[in-house]
Amino acid sequence: MDCGLDVGSTTCKYVLCSDTGEMIAQRYERHGSKQAEKVLEFLVELEERYTFTPQRDRVFLTGSGAGVIAPLIGGKVIQEVVAVAAAVERLHPSVRFVSEIGGEDMKTIFFKEHAGSKNKQVFMQSACSGGTGTFIEKTARKLGVADQLPRMRYAGYTLHKISSKCGIFAEADANTLVKAGVSIEEIIASLFEAVVYQNLATLTKGNTPLPEVLLLGGPNLFFAGLQEAWRVHLRRLWQERQVSLPAGRDAESLVLVPDNALYYAALGCVTLGRSEPPQVGLYQGYGKLRWWIDEGQHEQKKREGSTGLWTTAEELEQFKRHYQSPQRPSHARSTPSRALSACVIGCDFGSTTAKAVCLSPEKEVLLTCYALSKGNPIEDAKSLFAQIQAAGVRQPLGVGITGYGAELLKNIIGADAPVVETVAHAAAALHFFPDADCICDVGGVDVKILILKNGTVSDFRLNSQCSSGNGAFLQGVAERFDIPLEEMAQRAFAARAVPTLTMGCGVFLQSDIVNQQRKGWQADEILAGLCRILPLNVWVYAGGLNNLAAVGKKFVLQGGTHKNLAVVKAQVDFIRSKIPDAEIVVHPYSGEAGAIGAALCALERWESGEPTRFRGFAVIAGLTYRTTTAPATVCTWCPVHCQRTFIDVEIPGGKGRAWSKVPLPEGWERVIANNSCPKGLVEDVNELRAVKAELERIQHAYPNVAEMVRKQAFRPYAP
Amino acid sequence: MPIPMWRRWFGSKPSAPTLHKNRAAIRVGIPKVLNIWSTHQFWLGFLTALGIRPSNIVFSSDTSEEQYREFGKGWGTVDCCYPVKSISGHYGELLFGQKVKIDLLLSPMIYSLPSFLQGHVIDTLSCPRVMAAPENIKSGFLKERDTFAATGVHYVSPLVSLGEPQLVPGQLYKALRDVLGLDKQETARAVAQGYASLEAFNRKMRAHAREILTWCAREQHPCLLMLGRPYHMDPGIGHEIDVDLQAHGYPVLWIQYFPCDADVLEWLFGAELRAGQIRSPFDISDVWSSSYSSNTNEILWGAKVATRCPWITCVVHLSSYECGMDQPTYTPVQKIVEASGTLYFKFGDLDATKPAGGVKIRVQTIVHYLRKYSQTLIARKLAWLPGPCPLLTASEDSSPQRVEADSGIPARTAVAG
Repeated sequence: MDCGLDVGSTTCKYVLCSDTGEMIAQRYERHGSKQAEKVLEFLVELEERYTFTPQRDRVFLTGSGAGVIAPLIGGKVIQEVVAVAAAVERLHPSVRFVSEIGGEDMKTIFFKEHAGSKNKQVFMQSACSGGTGTFIEKTARKLGVADQLPRMRYAGYTLHKISSKCGIFAEADANTLVKAGVSIEEIIASLFEAVVYQNLATLTKGNTPLPEVLLLGGPNLFFAGLQEAWRVHLRRLWQERQVSLPAGRDAESLVLVPDNALYYAALGCVTLGRSEPPQVGLYQGYGKLRWWIDEGQHEQKKREGSTGLWTTAEELEQFKRHYQSPQRPSHARSTPSRALSACVIGCDFGSTTAKAVCLSPEKEVLLTCYALSKGNPIEDAKSLFAQIQAAGVRQPLGVGITGYGAELLKNIIGADAPVVETVAHAAAALHFFPDADCICDVGGVDVKILILKNGTVSDFRLNSQCSSGNGAFLQGVAERFDIPLEEMAQRAFAARAVPTLTMGCGVFLQSDIVNQQRKGWQADEILAGLCRILPLNVWVYAGGLNNLAAVGKKFVLQGGTHKNLAVVKAQVDFIRSKIPDAEIVVHPYSGEAGAIGAALCALERWESGEPTRFRGFAVIAGLTYRTTTAPATVCTWCPVHCQRTFIDVEIPGGKGRAWSKVPLPEGWERVIANNSCPKGLVEDVNELRAVKAELERIQHAYPNVAEMVRKQAFRPYAP
Repeated sequence: MPIPMWRRWFGSKPSAPTLHKNRAAIRVGIPKVLNIWSTHQFWLGFLTALGIRPSNIVFSSDTSEEQYREFGKGWGTVDCCYPVKSISGHYGELLFGQKVKIDLLLSPMIYSLPSFLQGHVIDTLSCPRVMAAPENIKSGFLKERDTFAATGVHYVSPLVSLGEPQLVPGQLYKALRDVLGLDKQETARAVAQGYASLEAFNRKMRAHAREILTWCAREQHPCLLMLGRPYHMDPGIGHEIDVDLQAHGYPVLWIQYFPCDADVLEWLFGAELRAGQIRSPFDISDVWSSSYSSNTNEILWGAKVATRCPWITCVVHLSSYECGMDQPTYTPVQKIVEASGTLYFKFGDLDATKPAGGVKIRVQTIVHYLRKYSQTLIARKLAWLPGPCPLLTASEDSSPQRVEADSGIPARTAVAG
């Protein structure tokens, strides 16, 4: 018997074929980073159920993990693309283009017939998540629809622009779309679009995919929507390039997705292996593999990695004592309802959660609450304010608001102090730590470093485009390992040795992790490695701060990711390695700092005697809104043509927009979302005139010398 | 290997054939880049004095990504300086994007600059990369074939020491004598006219700035000072960050055109001058010893002015991607500005991509602190300065330069802050 084993980045597959080449058995399973263990499990099963026998049967391996495992079991490694191509040639002689999409890679193969002989051209990329299965799954997981993916469709949905180049950007784009009220179905359809686009854009290199086309790999097999997207694109392409289709066949039927699309690499291994001399790939049993799992891998790891996140148990204990529960200032919580009768509200509408706090005029935190973002800021606001009202607040002294949703919501809820995030975070940090020099906020999808001077944010670095340092990435990896969020720190501390990961792009880090897995590093150790690399990514890679000492001495760590003590430990060690006498504190309200800052700003306003504009709990609870994302909402100010979304909210005194392409009656207000520049906030020419007139009025009242230079310097001077 | 001599790099080029046209009909294109942003009127004055019709002097448009995409692609050369790199688009636009074809592409290599700090600093040189930029950009247009010849355009790129007026007539005569059929005398006259035009324009801008500052003094209204190189006024290089800030209700001054009237300078620097700490109000040797670079010197002087001038409550420092000239100014400028509590914000590493979200958040952050601290800052800085402010006491007639009525500032504006 011959066995083909495909040890991939996320899954393992095997096929077992009889000596005559018929398939006897096959299996496909996710390995959860334990490639060797899964292979061992497969081999045990093969021996016990199918009498797969050492020294008689042969085994051929392919995939990212094959290199380590093959010598342990006597197998021979066959390159992935070569294997896939061999299987395709044997099973589908008329196929001329293959797309195989894997978890973290993608390949295309072009078969060309030239003067009677067939040659193939192979393209592959595994350095970037764009166009791979992870690209779709990552975002789908975030949207909470990962398990519905196979059933989600492509055809018929309005498509939105999603960055196809990088899974990280794509997730951010999807986030924005969600916020603008675009349906999950449309977002997923847009993801399918992006994957096909990316495969065609990067992996065709001037070749035209010709029929017949074969789609392989997990995503292509499992996601019906992705198949639809391929069919739509290929049909369009064939029409455009006037490719003549075989008589009697329509484009649809020329795109094949075989039932065993997952096993082509494994099948190809067997196909090619059978042409090898009989002693090649002779199975040696799983004894050595078992030894490697139990002992061997640890020895190899020890040679390569560094020690864990701590050196002595005592040191760890001391660290935990100091940082375990940041001392929150004690305040009168005994009679909250009475205290709540006079308080300001601060809200932070973030990307993943919306948070609110109530502060007393003495700046004590009376109440904190949060709502997991449902993707629609108006819904989030409703949920938050309902909680605040239920806690006993009747009429707040003022309302401050910050975060991504602040722009959208400030008029709708009647916020007194809409503040930009940087200011809110600085206010909150300076309230608790008046001598703070630097705030490092590591959130779900972004990293913020704020450098404080003279009570202001003198400089800051925001990075929401690179996931390498942020919490979502850490969380994503933990999820892949099935480690619950609250256990992450504990698991990372359990690691006695830590792999050395490379700083930088999250996507490369991802492949690096796969590499480390291959070397046998376990989930705990990889998590610890990620915690250790995080400060480097945050400060140097995302923040671009090479000289930490210039920043100051007192560092405030905040944001959800710093709730993870292992990350805090790594941060403390990193900062102290640069500035030995640095003082590093974790914000007592690590996740609510933005909301507290917004509340402080509202309080400032109230102290100067300004009455609140808050619309009241009843109005917010009763908000009705509708969203429109349609051709009529596309922005036409520049050639980018952003697909905007109009969120129309019914609100007393709303002015309506009778002149709009999407008319709005009186009593409604429109909020424009998904614009990528301020221009897009203006609906069309009519509105532009008003905005322009206002801008000119301001420019006239508050002149700018450069304006005059721009207007007059390049014309002959007329005194 | 012999070291290539200065002469061989920038010396006389094979002379271009004379344009067989009367001068009035010759059309001259000038790329609106780099230090053209501070010498514009020199070139206009110079060329018109030579008899070239003003309507025949064409500047390329503001730098933009579209400009580069349409006209610069394919001609690009390697340069880490974004303002230099973007010049390919300007050349391309002048060669291919004109309704009426140009005859002459004039792209001066400006070695030194006229500056109001001249005589108070060691030198007023250009950044060497900026000075030599035309050589670099030109090569992109010669790579495959001589694009200038193919489009019938004379390319002239004179090395000019605008900081040393006595050298300029000779330099421009040599570069342009054949192509325009010049004689030495008329060249000298035209150069003098160029300087006069530039001087008049600068005077007008300073008067405009003085009006702005006077208004601020009268209204106790804060304003911003932009510190950057002249070409950061180009919307494609400075990304109109000044305009974004202005839209929040703050007048904007640029250091290139700060009012340099004696009364204002005496008010700001008089005490230090008499105490012997500085040799003149324009002296920067107390903060910057190697004062060779013209634009850098002006930025440093700007920091000194900003930290003293009460209504400048905030400095915005612009710098292009990896600018080697700006790099060493960051810390001193910030320290000088912040010495009086004046707000300092830097937009560094500006390049083609307008950092959309980043700029917006930064502008909002700046505006928040401007609102919060400006009045305290104005009061504090005023308390440090002597006696009455000359901006308010100078009578209408004795005001050093009265500005034309169109300067844009209404006597009192009823705009809410």
